[in-house]
Amino acid sequence: MFIHGGRNETLWPLIGPPAVWAIHFTASYVWAAIACAKTTHEDAIYLTARIGIGVMTVLALAAIAYASYHAWRVWGFGRYEPPHADDTEEDRRRFLGYATLLLAALSAVSVIFVALPAAFIPECTW
Amino acid sequence: MTPLLSATQTAARRTLPLALCLAAAGCSGPQSALDPAGREAETVAHLFFVMTIGGAVIWLAVIALAVYAGGFKQRTLSEETGQRLILWGGAVVPTLILAALLAYALWLMPDLRPWTREAMAEGGVKGHVTAEQYWWRVRMEGPGGPVESANELIVPVGQRVDLTLTSPDVIHSFWIPALAGKIDMIPGRTNRITLRADRPGVYRGVCAEFCGESHALMAFTVRAVPPQEHAALAAAEARPAAVTSGEGLRLFLEKGCAACHAIRGTEARGGVGPDLTHVGSRPTIAAATLPNDQASRERFLRNPDAVKPGVRMPGYDMLPPAEIETLARFLGDLK
Amino acid sequence: MTAPTSDIEARPTLPERDSPADLERRRTQEVRLRKAWETPSGWHYWTAVNNTEVGVWYTATAFAFMLFAGVLALIMRAQLAVPENDLVSADFYNQAFTLHGTVMMFLFSVPIFEAVAIVILPQMLGARDLPFPRLSAFGFWSFVLGGVFVCGSIFFNAAPNTGWFMYPPLATDEKQSGIGADIWLLGLSFIEVASIAAAVELIVGTLKCRPPGMRINLIPLFAWYILIVAGMILFAFPPLIAGDILFEMERMFDWPFFDPERRGDPLLWQHLFWIFGHPEVYIVFLPAIALIAMIVPTFAQRPIVGYSWIVLAAVGTGFLSFGLWVHHMFATGLPTISLAFFSAASEAVVIPTGVQIFVFIATLLAGRVIFAVPMLFATGGLAIFVIGGLTGVMVALAPFDWQAHDTYFVVAHLHYVLIGGMLFPITAGIYYFYPLVSGKMLSMRLGKIGFWLMFVGFNVGFLPMHLTGLRGMPRRVFTYADGLGWDWLNLVSTVGAFIFAAGVLVVVYDVVRPKGREPYAARNPWNAGTLEWLIGMPGESWGVRSVPFIKSRYPLWDQPDLIRDVDEGRGLLPDAEEGKRETLVTSVLDAEPIQCLRVPGNAVVPMVAAFTLGGVFIAATFKLWITTLVFCVAFLAALIYWLWTGTSVIPEKTEKHVGHGLVLPIYRSGPASIGWWAMFITMVGDATAFASLVFGYFFYWTIHADFVPEGAGPGVLWPMVAMGLLVAAWAATLAARRLNTAGRAGAVRLSLAVATVLTVAGGAAGLWGPWTTNLDPTSDVYPAIVWILVIWAVVHAGVAVIMLLYCLARSLAGRLTREWDIDMANVALYWHFMAITAVVTFGVVGLFPVVG
Repeated sequence: MFIHGGRNETLWPLIGPPAVWAIHFTASYVWAAIACAKTTHEDAIYLTARIGIGVMTVLALAAIAYASYHAWRVWGFGRYEPPHADDTEEDRRRFLGYATLLLAALSAVSVIFVALPAAFIPECTW
Repeated sequence: MTPLLSATQTAARRTLPLALCLAAAGCSGPQSALDPAGREAETVAHLFFVMTIGGAVIWLAVIALAVYAGGFKQRTLSEETGQRLILWGGAVVPTLILAALLAYALWLMPDLRPWTREAMAEGGVKGHVTAEQYWWRVRMEGPGGPVESANELIVPVGQRVDLTLTSPDVIHSFWIPALAGKIDMIPGRTNRITLRADRPGVYRGVCAEFCGESHALMAFTVRAVPPQEHAALAAAEARPAAVTSGEGLRLFLEKGCAACHAIRGTEARGGVGPDLTHVGSRPTIAAATLPNDQASRERFLRNPDAVKPGVRMPGYDMLPPAEIETLARFLGDLK
Repeated sequence: MTAPTSDIEARPTLPERDSPADLERRRTQEVRLRKAWETPSGWHYWTAVNNTEVGVWYTATAFAFMLFAGVLALIMRAQLAVPENDLVSADFYNQAFTLHGTVMMFLFSVPIFEAVAIVILPQMLGARDLPFPRLSAFGFWSFVLGGVFVCGSIFFNAAPNTGWFMYPPLATDEKQSGIGADIWLLGLSFIEVASIAAAVELIVGTLKCRPPGMRINLIPLFAWYILIVAGMILFAFPPLIAGDILFEMERMFDWPFFDPERRGDPLLWQHLFWIFGHPEVYIVFLPAIALIAMIVPTFAQRPIVGYSWIVLAAVGTGFLSFGLWVHHMFATGLPTISLAFFSAASEAVVIPTGVQIFVFIATLLAGRVIFAVPMLFATGGLAIFVIGGLTGVMVALAPFDWQAHDTYFVVAHLHYVLIGGMLFPITAGIYYFYPLVSGKMLSMRLGKIGFWLMFVGFNVGFLPMHLTGLRGMPRRVFTYADGLGWDWLNLVSTVGAFIFAAGVLVVVYDVVRPKGREPYAARNPWNAGTLEWLIGMPGESWGVRSVPFIKSRYPLWDQPDLIRDVDEGRGLLPDAEEGKRETLVTSVLDAEPIQCLRVPGNAVVPMVAAFTLGGVFIAATFKLWITTLVFCVAFLAALIYWLWTGTSVIPEKTEKHVGHGLVLPIYRSGPASIGWWAMFITMVGDATAFASLVFGYFFYWTIHADFVPEGAGPGVLWPMVAMGLLVAAWAATLAARRLNTAGRAGAVRLSLAVATVLTVAGGAAGLWGPWTTNLDPTSDVYPAIVWILVIWAVVHAGVAVIMLLYCLARSLAGRLTREWDIDMANVALYWHFMAITAVVTFGVVGLFPVVG
């Protein structure tokens, strides 16, 4: 769109992986909260939410993996070492690819962290 | 296996903190989370000590590295080694430590607070506590129905105490550090907590959420006693007042105290303030603000606002000293 | 770029270096530049809008508020020195801690970042100024007025007294919270507006006002952080503004948003407050860390190791910080799984923070470290902050937090985080950047004394609090009983607090002591590598003499001729031929020059706008409705005058030669213009506030089984009519934009008029729905939230009407034409958001009761 450089590049891919995390987090929280608030003692509905969060986690990780592959390609498949501090369009691209790759790793870890509660917490409590 | 009930673990849990605390400034006290006497508090104290030791090690390592980097190193690091240090020291190792810690805490959680639900099914002592500015209305279930009291919680050692918690005015928070963590009391919502005291003793609970001018003066006493003693005390609490006639009661009714306070067995049936049926048997008055002695009772009757700013009870300074003294003595006799 | 239709003669090439002609060229250029960027004198000094002036005022004011809040803290520590002390009354103490927290957060921590960024960001980016200098000035004057209003209340015993997070029902109870709560809500809403203004300014500044060649992989780390933090403000502050609106409606008009008796819920406030409140911690922390990221490479005398890692950390923290808010609500009795999600995210956010610390350590390890006062404060802060971070890991675990929450453990934790992660780095920044502002150095001796007093005093004061808290001392208590084991701990804390205060005083003295007789500092005194050190000692108000081409992250280290070229006016924009203030606009990723931007000069109107807006808020606090209305009109008038005279100014020529054979347009509109960006960014913030209100609607739906009472609701018809009319108005506005591009002025005016009429009708239809169905907003939370959503949409429609009429007037005045169409493009952009707001609002209030 409008944050573009040459050849239709933008800054947006950088925030792709954390945006996936944000969506996964919000969806997990909302689903579980509604399951617990609207259906106090129906375990089946809570169980559905847990399974749903599991499915969303797989989807989120897949999306992040896709973004990582793309970033890895932009980075140049690891052929170039950081710091990517040269005054060239190539290095600027590599930098963005590398930073996106790092963010993808952090986002993946965070998605897994946020999925853990669904694995560990067996009931809504009350 | 539940992580909480193994005897050896419990023993280890008790000695380790104790040893540490003696080395430090001391952790004991009637209101100390580090001097646990209950199930949840003990688990959490253990968690705290483990994390503190781990945290101290991490802090020392980071600071040592920073100081070394800043002042004592012999040669400089290459860019690649630096990148590797960031990857491992800054990202991978913390991730692993945090993942382990998170998993441990998540594993603990269902065993701490959903325990409440299990307790509701299984029975144990039940009650309802209401936090009001700035005191605690306690209504324990008894064989003859609920028994109301105030600012004092008497619990049987080794048994579950299931409490429902509400508030009619503002948000308060129910906290007995020696037994368990806190939980808020929110108008329009009902929260629950289950306590289990494992050690007899007298502990202190407080309001932990700022609730107005005298938030600082809103505490209560918790007495954990052996089950037989608890049964006796609960029975005594359920009985009507010990004094149901005399000059004190006459003044109590005549001066309007009964508009707000109840004394079971008399005509005093006010429900705004604390129930005073057995106020003489409580160790403190004014929500654990003053000791329960004649002088304090007189002081509080004369000018409660000077003791607890913003309290709803009016002062009785206009009464002659003799009447204040009689009233205070009467209240002390309500054992 | 638009095709050049240049009326400018190609420039002759520059004369030979140091030839008489060259010297003459430089001299005349400097005279013109100096005149264009002149700082006004006398009383007019206060009409200055240049970043060097406004930024310094901003910084000084924020510090003054900090010292004020610090005095409140000392009074509190004196009160708590011994048990059962009666130095101050309970009510005064409650006012003191509320104001301490409020001032430190809203009047120091956030503004100081904006202030410092306003001072140094343009210098770092080789820009003459930020893109919207008058907006900075407006923000500053709003901040001063709001801050004085909030702080001053304590002298009238009218300060807010319910804690800085203002939990209802205590804070909605007029008897218990008095006017203090209104002062808090309205005073701070006003300041929040200023913060969002600063965020707009800084985002556009970072992305669009860089020097040529400074690609996105070369920008100073400080700019990365500022970009992220400004983005965070955009999503963090609006939920609080939404919460403030609900809160004030409850206090002033008894709408029961937080009253459980009428199905409101006090917890909604907690959600909205902490959705703001936790990101805010990082909004405060990241810019301070950004200062360290500038200081560490300088004193290690090498580029940072792990630049990309810092970007990862900043962006990662920016996102994760929005998934933490419920960890302030662990004790509210929410379902365990909800708590667990937030525990998990709270642990995850530690990872990027750890990365940042290791980036600094790795850089130190890879460089030859010079240890000066800024480094002392930076490392001391780090040592403190790491403790705060580790206790943060602890309290992020819900079971531990159940014990620690709302105790002195948390007081200790948050001060370790904020003082170690923010105050110490800021002080490091003051020692480091001071020469940029005054041309003089601060005293290294006083700096060391100040540091050690602060460092030792802080730890003596706050370390014991961890233990005090776990031994049961709740926070926010004005007194405590003897014999609970807290006496000595509190006494030690008080002693430490006063030692710490002594250290702060030493630093303050060092900053304000007269330095008239001291020599100016050497140029680039720390031998730093980044552009802000281009400045001469003392600096000129034009900022940078000419804008250099950048090829490195540390141009002063890697581009040997850079300083000389800049000084000799051999970069871009070396002159101010037309006597206008100009700066460069470049593309986002590769910083290719795309526009020569004329920035507005000194003016009194930002101050007038700020004071009239302040008048609105202050008069509303005291419920002086007529005065409020008068100020509203005055503010609107000031705003329109400001816009009419100061924005989308039509230049005398389309393009300009900026040096090096480069010809750039002066006027650009649509996505290429910075005004369009500002509108877009502002509307993102606006949409976030709107989303928060919609969240409120669904929050109530979640907690109530029968949220929409039987038969209640605004009906389907009128909301749908409103939606239809507003969407039609949107279409008419887009048509106007298209017709304008086609150059059909008459049709443009007709379209604008039609859009205006449709908008007015749409707004009226929107109000008519809940009005005819007799929804009484004071009776229950459902009608209240419906009304709030409708009012939100209608107020936005009102703003849209003003915009449409403004465009119409501009068109009639010949200032909105096919060629000069900034206003039309920006209003069309506003209308995209307006259309979304209308569709969502009327869709939710009209259709959800039917569907749900």
